[in-house]
Amino acid sequence: MPQVKIIAKNFMDMVAALPALKLDKLYDNTFICEAVLRSLPPLAKKYVLQMLYVDVPVTAKSMEEWVLADGFSKHRVAIDRLIQLRVFLESTDRKKETSYRLNPKFQGNLQKYLVHGGVLPRDPMSSSITVRLPTLEELESYALNQWECFLLQLISSGQAEKTTNFSSSMIEVFQRGLLSQRGKEAPRLTESGFQFLLMDTNAQLWYIIREYISNSEERRVDPADLISFLLELSFHATGQAYNITTLNEVQRSIIKDLADLGLVKLQQGRKESWFIPTKLATNLSVSLSDSSSRKQGFVVVETNFRLYAYSTSKLHCEILRLFARIEYQLPNLIVGAITKESLYSAFDNGITSEQASIISFLQQNAHPRVADRAAPAVPENVTDQIRLWETDLNRVEITPSHFYDDFPSKDVFEAACDYARENGGLLWEDSKRMRLVVKADIHGLMREYLQKK
Amino acid sequence: MAGHGEKGRPSKKHKSSKEDHRNPTVDDEDAYYGEEFDEDNRDGEKEGKKRDFTKLELKPDHANRPLWACADGRIFLETFSPLYKQAYDFLIAIAEPVCRPESMHEYNLTPHSLYAAVSVGLETETIITVLNKLSKTKLPKEMIDFIHASTANYGKVKLVLKKNRYFVESPFPEVLKNLLRDDIISKARISSEGLHGTDSFTISKAIGEIEGGHDELLNGIELAAAAEEKETHAFEIDPAQVENVKQRCLPNALNYPMLEEYDFRNDTVNPDLNMELKPQAQPRPYQEKSLSKMFGNGRARSGIIVLPCGAGKSLVGVSAACRVRKSCLCLATNAVSVDQWAFQFKLWSTIRDDQICRFTSDSKERFRGNAGVVVTTYNMVAFGGKRSEESEKIIEEIRNREWGLLLMDEVHVVPAHMFRKVISITKSHCKLGLTATLVREDERITDLNFLIGPKLYEANWLDLVKGGFIANVQCAEVWCPMTKEFFAEYLKKENSKRKQALYVMNPNKFRACEFLIRFHEQQRGDKIIVFADNLFALTEYAMKLRKPMIYGATSHQERTRILYAFKHSPDVNTVFLSKVGDNSIDIPEANVIIQISSHAGSRRQEAQRLGRILRAKGKHQDRMAGGKEEYNAFFYSLVSTDTQEMYYSTKRQQFLIDQGYSFKIITSLPPPDSGADLSYSSRDEQLQLLNKVLNAGDDMVGLEQLEEDTDDIALQKARRTFGSMSAMSGAHGMVYMEYNNGKGKYPGQGQLKSKPKDPAKRHSLFKKRFG
Repeated sequence: MPQVKIIAKNFMDMVAALPALKLDKLYDNTFICEAVLRSLPPLAKKYVLQMLYVDVPVTAKSMEEWVLADGFSKHRVAIDRLIQLRVFLESTDRKKETSYRLNPKFQGNLQKYLVHGGVLPRDPMSSSITVRLPTLEELESYALNQWECFLLQLISSGQAEKTTNFSSSMIEVFQRGLLSQRGKEAPRLTESGFQFLLMDTNAQLWYIIREYISNSEERRVDPADLISFLLELSFHATGQAYNITTLNEVQRSIIKDLADLGLVKLQQGRKESWFIPTKLATNLSVSLSDSSSRKQGFVVVETNFRLYAYSTSKLHCEILRLFARIEYQLPNLIVGAITKESLYSAFDNGITSEQASIISFLQQNAHPRVADRAAPAVPENVTDQIRLWETDLNRVEITPSHFYDDFPSKDVFEAACDYARENGGLLWEDSKRMRLVVKADIHGLMREYLQKK
Repeated sequence: MAGHGEKGRPSKKHKSSKEDHRNPTVDDEDAYYGEEFDEDNRDGEKEGKKRDFTKLELKPDHANRPLWACADGRIFLETFSPLYKQAYDFLIAIAEPVCRPESMHEYNLTPHSLYAAVSVGLETETIITVLNKLSKTKLPKEMIDFIHASTANYGKVKLVLKKNRYFVESPFPEVLKNLLRDDIISKARISSEGLHGTDSFTISKAIGEIEGGHDELLNGIELAAAAEEKETHAFEIDPAQVENVKQRCLPNALNYPMLEEYDFRNDTVNPDLNMELKPQAQPRPYQEKSLSKMFGNGRARSGIIVLPCGAGKSLVGVSAACRVRKSCLCLATNAVSVDQWAFQFKLWSTIRDDQICRFTSDSKERFRGNAGVVVTTYNMVAFGGKRSEESEKIIEEIRNREWGLLLMDEVHVVPAHMFRKVISITKSHCKLGLTATLVREDERITDLNFLIGPKLYEANWLDLVKGGFIANVQCAEVWCPMTKEFFAEYLKKENSKRKQALYVMNPNKFRACEFLIRFHEQQRGDKIIVFADNLFALTEYAMKLRKPMIYGATSHQERTRILYAFKHSPDVNTVFLSKVGDNSIDIPEANVIIQISSHAGSRRQEAQRLGRILRAKGKHQDRMAGGKEEYNAFFYSLVSTDTQEMYYSTKRQQFLIDQGYSFKIITSLPPPDSGADLSYSSRDEQLQLLNKVLNAGDDMVGLEQLEEDTDDIALQKARRTFGSMSAMSGAHGMVYMEYNNGKGKYPGQGQLKSKPKDPAKRHSLFKKRFG
């Protein structure tokens, strides 16, 4: 299960996984240099800035001298990361002494950036052409709406009001790992899929973007181009209009997909058309390290297992439906109940009660009214019960085994029992009727033994 | 369910598995508490149907309004809204509470609830206007139509006893004309001014509703309209025909159910009873409120007041009697509670000793003078057999007297036929029913509605807990695994009749019980009641632990003696009770209940038993929200895992859960590190016990049958009809949850002694979870 989370968190791992040549090409772009710098652990950041104007390699030994004894592990992490991202280039001289220097391209661009500041390849359009642009609030609700539509389509709930322009094959790519299909049944969410839905928007976005990038070659788009465009986009100003004509052909096709995800809003004027980056886009580089923006909670769980969600979102309703019985849907409230059956169907899909799952979803999304009280946000009796229901499922352990009977004599039977016991595989014996059950993994041994007899 | 290793506990909505848990013995129990119909109905109706009301239009200022109303009658109320208090008072008057936990309440609008609303003086338009004011969305049209339809006939006609003449009264002359078209009613009519003008009615001005709980929700103009004097039209009917007229007005006939009101202030024929509340009798706010519903327009309305046990029902009853100030007949369920009622009258009111008398098989007193209070039992009045000469005289007096007030305690337990009888035998101007739980496991609530009157008031348990008026109870369900040997016997077919005995006598349960008794007696100095329905278990437990016990066959003197010792002796801290202790036996000292066996899935029994320890103890301010004591009472329900008991336990807890209580599950009792000194710790002892259970006669291991029960069973068998049990109980609607458990923390309320959330300070029993 954690694979989803880890991947979603470290987009930069993907950058690091690019081949050296592509990576170096990325560093042609000043903004990527900055984005990478931002993503670094604090100590690594310090090293980069310290070495920014040092043009000769610095030996590993002398760098180690900068570090206090108890900070050594952090030092190691920082250096590894820098090398992975090819921000540091490692070289070994004849004396087998390792030394590091900054990637010259990265260094040059960052120096330039410090002196001149960043210059975007395009400027916002003047308001005389664009006339009325959406306000930031409108833009945000547009973005979230787009994102929700996309997610609803993704989990194929049939609740989406409109579908996106993604090809079904593209959607299938996104669904990979999140949904599973057994036979002709409707696809069901897997455990990862469930956790995906429970993640915050930025984390989800990164997961999708990652899939989008890793799939890019099939669409004959260079992943490096894609990454660099995405990172560049994150440095645009939210709510400003940028002319589509400033984009190259590849980027133009990408921007349509991004509009479907709610990263940009496309608008058409009389002659020109433009795109407006939303918060989702500009947050891309910010959210690399951690999801800081806490969404306001909306769920109230009562001691009687009733669940009230202050939400207008169909997606929320779909998420809740995964583990609760939805009873009423009101304009801004969803009423449901957590029942044993609803939970069992969730457990059945591999969704667990603990960890990044049901209980923590309920806790993290608790309505401020219950989250801010002294008592637990989700009543203890409810969390206890959810856990008990789950452990109840695990009371029966299934061991593949084999059943033997028809022993010719008591002696043979008893010898067989002893033999099975010695091999640690005797599960059950009935000496009256001379029957026994052994674990499947010693079945071969048993057969051999009995044949010998 | 199979394969989940879960045998005993299907959750409520799981119909298919329900069958698995029935067996002959269980069927009997179900017949007794015919709760199943109700639940099946719920299942059928609601399961699977999604209620999508997203199209309702939100008002722009919806955040300031406290409730949502759905087309199917369901109402959701935010308890954290600044308008909560007003909205609550209003909703409780017009709708049935479904569940009332901490943050969100649910109510159902039902015909009965609207009938009750109309009868306390709310008018159709007022109901709709106020509801609309409180609603976050525009009211669904269906709901408005429903309110109109339900209130069209209800509350339009009143039967008023004025100066000892019966009048049929209504503000709507056309309704009266309608009634008079009926033969029986027109024959019953007495025309005062000769025979001319059958169409003319006596017209008078009635005082507008003086109680104004919802005033603040209405604007000035509407308020003025409400307070304006109403013209009422009336015709007189023959007192001898009153019952017939009432019958004709019931929903199955003309469908203008009559509200009964008693203009006691203008009753000059019946002598006044000179009694008042003593100055120290200070009714609490909710008691005042319930009385104001009863006496809202200066007359006394008939109806039912629902207050949790221990919340002071008797003070409400005594206050009502003091306001009416006429002779009062008070009916209780048994002799012990007759004594208690008589005591309460003397405690709270200035009634003289010679004005109050008890009429039971043991004490046959008579009051002096021309007015007084008689306290007796339902059985004494309804008894059909031969009586002693003395009782015959008394009962004759009861029959012949016109009672100002008929005060009926515990109305939910008395069989309907008994009510009919009592009500037909006694002539009363006003009937007041008191109860803690309008939950009945049958449909008899509907009868109550017409036999006594609508529900006038129902208190919110959680609010009373927060106000410190009733004890804050920690409820816990203790899971006792069956021992291997007991479980093997339990599963055998030939033991189907002893299943109950087997799971109740489960040695692990016994040990848990023994541990809890020791813990509470020694560590906390508590007073403990242990409940067991199973007589065999009751005796075994009580003998083994050397504790006194009371069951059906225990004589009145013996009961009194044991209860006295329990109250006063420091050496008697635990008493074992069979189900005779469920109702009425007032044991204010007890603060711990351990339930080792119970009556199938009876929600009412669970609530009643809890009620035994609800009377708040200690200083008032300590109990208030944020006060010193987190929990001052404990309710343990011991269940043997993997048996039917688990299933019943789920059902039983439903009522309390809906009131906002939660059950915490304890899985390891006695704690693993103790228990060697408890009984049945060796396998040999356990096997001996098993032998005893298996060898006991069939008659011994069954349930205790009390006198009244036989009635009940016969009655219930005969009346096995469909019908939703009691919209009135508030139990109508869906089943929410599976069963519940849990810490029962009412958040926002005093948590632990000093600092909340410090696990180290938790009651040591609750530290260990998940064994």
